[in-house]
Amino acid sequence: MVTDLPPPAAPLPAAIRIADLCFAYHAKPALQQITLDLPAHQITALIGPSGCGKSTLLRCINRINDRIPGARITAGSIHIHGIDINRPDIDLQELRRRVGMVFQKSNPFPKSIYENVVFSLRLSGIHKRSELDATAETALHAAALWDEVKDRLHTRALGLSGGQQQRLCIARAIASQPDILLMDEPCAALDPIATLKIEELLHQLKKQYTIVIVTHSMAQATRCADHTAFMDLGRLIEFRPTLQLFNTPHHPQTLAYVTGSFG
Amino acid sequence: MSKTDEVPHRFSKQGFSLEKAIRFFFASNAGLTIVILVLIIAFLLKEGLGFFPGYRRELEVYRIAGLEFVDLSRSNLTAHEQLSSVLNRAYFAQINGLCASELKRSQEAAAVFNAYSERSAATHDLIVSNLDAGIAPDSEMLATLRQNHAASTRKALAELPATPHLTRAERAALIQSIATREVSSKDDPPLVTALAAQYAAAQQTHAEPLAGLRGTLDAFDAAGTDLSALVSEMTVAVTATKEAIQAGDVLEKNRTTLVAAAAHAKTPAAREKLLADAQTSLAAKTDIDGPMQALMLRKPACIAAHADLRQACAGILDGLPAALSQPEAERLLRVARKAIPAFMANLEQAPQRIGQWRHDTPVPLTAAIGSFLTGKDWVTGGEWQDFYGILPLLVGSLMISLVALCLAIPAGVGAAIYVNQFASRLEQAVIKPVIEFIQAIPSVVLGFIGILVFGSVLRDISQFDSLAWVPGFPIEERLNIFTAGCLLALMSIPTIFTLAEDALNNVPAAYAEASDALGASRIQTSFRVIIPAAFSGILAAVLLGLGRVIGETMVVLLVAGNRIKIPDFSSGIGAFLQPSHTLTGIIAQELGEVPLGSVHYRALFVVGILLFAIVLGINATAHKFVSRSRH
Ligand SMILES: Nc1ncnc2c1ncn2[C@@H]1O[C@H](COP(=O)(O)OP(=O)(O)O)[C@@H](O)[C@H]1O
Ligand SMILES: [Mg+2]
Repeated sequence: MVTDLPPPAAPLPAAIRIADLCFAYHAKPALQQITLDLPAHQITALIGPSGCGKSTLLRCINRINDRIPGARITAGSIHIHGIDINRPDIDLQELRRRVGMVFQKSNPFPKSIYENVVFSLRLSGIHKRSELDATAETALHAAALWDEVKDRLHTRALGLSGGQQQRLCIARAIASQPDILLMDEPCAALDPIATLKIEELLHQLKKQYTIVIVTHSMAQATRCADHTAFMDLGRLIEFRPTLQLFNTPHHPQTLAYVTGSFG
Repeated sequence: MSKTDEVPHRFSKQGFSLEKAIRFFFASNAGLTIVILVLIIAFLLKEGLGFFPGYRRELEVYRIAGLEFVDLSRSNLTAHEQLSSVLNRAYFAQINGLCASELKRSQEAAAVFNAYSERSAATHDLIVSNLDAGIAPDSEMLATLRQNHAASTRKALAELPATPHLTRAERAALIQSIATREVSSKDDPPLVTALAAQYAAAQQTHAEPLAGLRGTLDAFDAAGTDLSALVSEMTVAVTATKEAIQAGDVLEKNRTTLVAAAAHAKTPAAREKLLADAQTSLAAKTDIDGPMQALMLRKPACIAAHADLRQACAGILDGLPAALSQPEAERLLRVARKAIPAFMANLEQAPQRIGQWRHDTPVPLTAAIGSFLTGKDWVTGGEWQDFYGILPLLVGSLMISLVALCLAIPAGVGAAIYVNQFASRLEQAVIKPVIEFIQAIPSVVLGFIGILVFGSVLRDISQFDSLAWVPGFPIEERLNIFTAGCLLALMSIPTIFTLAEDALNNVPAAYAEASDALGASRIQTSFRVIIPAAFSGILAAVLLGLGRVIGETMVVLLVAGNRIKIPDFSSGIGAFLQPSHTLTGIIAQELGEVPLGSVHYRALFVVGILLFAIVLGINATAHKFVSRSRH
């Protein structure tokens, strides 16, 4: 079997380096010694049984876990483009502008479509109409939503369909021109057609952004991701190019999971 | 039918199950509530709607008896008296303003002496009565009494009021003269007398340059004498006519009741008796034409009196000084100047109005409705004529609510935002129960605190000279719109706070998370996402607070001052420091005393209906906002 392995690919520049990361909610450990280099301008999928810590890991990358009282990193580090994001002098707001996030349940604000997209600009004090208009259009184009909403930019965002709302959230996240896009099961609540649209979109976005996506669908991981990381019980079990991981898993646990005989 | 059909299917329920009984119990409770609400509304309408025909008749009597005619003249006479009073107040304000220092010095010296006299009166009087009695006073007892008096004098002298306008030496001299005063002396201390004389002299000095104004004012005062006499004379006549008409109305009502009873009488004999009674109650038709003709004969005299008055007042504007140096006097002068043109215009129109007035112009029902909704007077139980104009009450209620909301919105909503968004756990645990506790204070207790503490403190503060620039200061009435508004604000803060806090709490956490993930700071998340998302809910909270404020009775009854008059807006924002009455207060105050079924009684019901409609409208609007704010 080992001889069948392709030669190791040329090392890609890593956008995010996670080293020996341990994380706990209060005293309860959720991540243990995760070491993972996520390559730039690639899509990396995180898969694993539910409760294994995929979301927790993702939420460490933009430090949104800071919101949860008692949640903290107990060991290890995360570097983005070589900078330790857990250093005390990190500007959290700036970090989050650089690392966008899309949540499992679409959560547009109860404002107009337009105001949702330009939200991050307004936060940075940009109120010039032309600038806002340009950004809104670019972001909505990039999120493949422009044609559907261009005539009703100023209507309520909550009036959009589920798939449109999720793409709006993507547009909102990329409006501040981040480098990295984190997505936590973005298609979990969507129908297959809306899911397909988002997957197509991911292929487009990959050119500009480093994308980390959590998914519970192995099919989705195979369709979209360049690399896949399999996690279980807070540990990283295996991290390899997607096709290799699914076709020739190294680890018996991975094998059990991808063949569906897990548990 | 075959026999098997009658056997119930084996799954079908049999008899009256417990489930059905429970269902019925709850359904009947809900039904009962609705029935009671409908009954309440029906009762309100039944009692209230009879008001308008009744009030129409009262207004008709007001016209046919000639009271309305007299009021045409009387209104001008009243305006003249008011104008005259304002001008006189301006005159005295000017003089007293110029002698302010003398006035204060004299008042302070007198106050010191009065305070002493009051405190030592008891022991002083004992000595005097013992000396006066003529009996040879027991020298030992007298010595004790003198000792007591000396002690009380010492005590009184230790607690004299402050005298900021007297020099130290003067105060010392005054105290000295009091301390060494003969018991039998009846004279005031020399300083008191001297200062009083100084004040009188100053008054005289300052009055001299104003002699011209004094003359003008005296002439102006005197100008109303003729009209006044005429009005008093007519008043007696029309009041008699009105009484006759009302007596006739009562008899007529008795008669119709008896006739109606006769129609339902059981035996022919009883019917005969009732009809006979009705016959005796048949009023001789009240003669209104005779007195009316007599009244109409006065028309020329009235017109002439108006013409005279107008002539006498024509020069008044020119007779007034261009300006007065004292601020209060100047303010009053300006008030008078502003009122004079309208007064003169009314005088000018009066002859025509008097000439055209007719007693037989019909009074339509709409006139009663209009008079109720837009009337500026709520006069009841008076000897002259009752008016049920809701405006003074409505304005009072609205002004009090405005004050309450202006204070309660920032406090309640601000506290809700702080507690929900920024407070630490500990702060939350303290602030929330404390604010909610306010709700537990019975409103009558709150009203009582309002009168004793808040009203008095505010008035005392307003007496400071250095605060005289605040509009409406110094406050004349301890109980006023502002005090009531403050207390109602206190009462509505818990409502607004609790509901607004709920609204903020109901904003999904996902919004805050999304906002944080986009790089918003704490404050940005609160003010750009959470508060806007809770906006409808906060608005609903404010509206429900308003509903509570408008419907509140006890506090306004105790604290608003209960003066039925539209506040005088000529003093600007100071209008909020005047007393007022309210829609709720008037019902609480008057309903217990009115005769059942009278027009006044029904008027209060209509006020109740109006109140009900306002609060219902507010709550319905709030409800709309609440349902819109569901996320
Ligand atoms: N806010 C939280 N507080 C405490 N424990 C949490 C919290 N969120 C997640 N966990 C726990 O951490 C573990 C990992 O959760 P999560 O990262 O959400 O898993 P996944 O996304 O892979 O389903 C789970 O055992 C879960 O119960
Ligand atoms: Mg998850």
